[in-house]
Amino acid sequence: MKCVKCARREATTEVLRRHNNHVEKLYLCDECAKEYESDTVMKGLDMLDSFFGGSPMGLFGNFAGFFDAPAVKSLVCPECKTTSDEFLKTGFVGCPRCYEAFAPLVVQTVKKIQQSDRHVGKAPVGAVDFAAEQARLKSELQAAVDSGDYVKTAEISNRLKKLCGDGEGY
Amino acid sequence: MDATVISTRIRLARNVDGLPFPHKLKRADALNIIDGVTRALAPLDRFVRYDMSGISQLDGAILQEKHLISPDLLTDSPFGAALISADETVSVMVNEEDHIREQVIMSGLALDNAYDRINGIDDVLSKSIKLAYSPRFGYLTACATNLGTGMRASVMMFLPALTMCNMMDACINDVGRLNMTVRGVYGEGSKADGYLYQISNQRTLGMTEKDILGAVRSAINYVSDAELRARMRLKADEPALKDKIFRAWGVATNAYKLTTGEAMQILSLIRLGAYYGYIGVKNDIEFQNLITGCQPANMQRLSGKNMSVDERDIMRADYLASRLRDVAARA
Repeated sequence: MKCVKCARREATTEVLRRHNNHVEKLYLCDECAKEYESDTVMKGLDMLDSFFGGSPMGLFGNFAGFFDAPAVKSLVCPECKTTSDEFLKTGFVGCPRCYEAFAPLVVQTVKKIQQSDRHVGKAPVGAVDFAAEQARLKSELQAAVDSGDYVKTAEISNRLKKLCGDGEGY
Repeated sequence: MDATVISTRIRLARNVDGLPFPHKLKRADALNIIDGVTRALAPLDRFVRYDMSGISQLDGAILQEKHLISPDLLTDSPFGAALISADETVSVMVNEEDHIREQVIMSGLALDNAYDRINGIDDVLSKSIKLAYSPRFGYLTACATNLGTGMRASVMMFLPALTMCNMMDACINDVGRLNMTVRGVYGEGSKADGYLYQISNQRTLGMTEKDILGAVRSAINYVSDAELRARMRLKADEPALKDKIFRAWGVATNAYKLTTGEAMQILSLIRLGAYYGYIGVKNDIEFQNLITGCQPANMQRLSGKNMSVDERDIMRADYLASRLRDVAARA
């Protein structure tokens, strides 16, 4: 493959750069790649091939490629109007609410790129502790089931579903 | 002087709850975030605030050369700002890719200390600012690749022998399998100027901060061992090695003009010479500072006037020759 900048030498490096809120993938030769200094992410093409199991896809490339599933209906964030297509194309969402709006897509995507879809690290001061809250709700759910309170069971079940997500909430 | 590790950098990506991320943010909200962060940090060490809208080109370039701000903040963030601690170890970038990027840089391999420092700053910020967070995905970030901890732990490594022995590509592959990324600090990925590379974690979700630090530490130890083995290989032809290093010393102390890339290369060879004991370094910190000292914006700052590339290269050669004699000598 020829370098996209000079169109003369062979491309040896893939450069991923953010430009006007889009991520561009450039295949450059050694010479042209030198212009992209400092914090630009650069990797040898071989490394990317290996990382993505033979698929020459950039880390921030088209996220749609991460999906095994066929076409997904486009979703729109009610808060900032970002669409799920934009998210799949760039990896960027528009606001925190997008993660709720696109939760099923986010789960699939992050599972591929992060090998996990569940946070286990630090929480902000005063935030809900996921594990503790999940255990508490499960215990309350069991008690509601045992007592035959179907309204309460449904209500706790919804809260648990929202907490856990599992592709349907966040 | 550490043989293979130059410095440790940890950054945490955070966002304010209820507001669009910076690429969709309105000016008024962006300015409010800057004010909020400034107020939150006020009780801590003295932080100096730089608004990107008013910063001079030269000051911006100098902060970038010191890695205190990112190129994106300088060129692509119209409502960006940076709050930098007096000792220049902590910088908090506002309205870059995320609303808040907290970063700490420490010399040598200092993952735990660096995390403790930035975690303390993070706690202070999160008491004043409601951060975007979900129990499922953790800290919510503009790009899904930073979800979860929002943490990137990077270690700058000096890897001349792996580079000279053409083993860097294999090393990048190995480190990639450990879910780490390798970047050239200056210059190109696998043949970085000055043999300086950043190694950092790729995963930010599904691991605790402690797990990430442990994984980075393991990768650094692996690469460090490989580099030291390669240095033994290089020494097998000691006359050639010595010749290369002393030629670099000769150029550093006698050249009339030097480009940034040449200066980086020379300093790296001298650093390698110090490792083998061919060159004595009297002051490690001052020697390390020569790397940022030789960068274009710093040359510009020292001269106090606009210079052509040629003028800058002439000044760089003079700067390096005079400073080098103060901090190092042939053994």
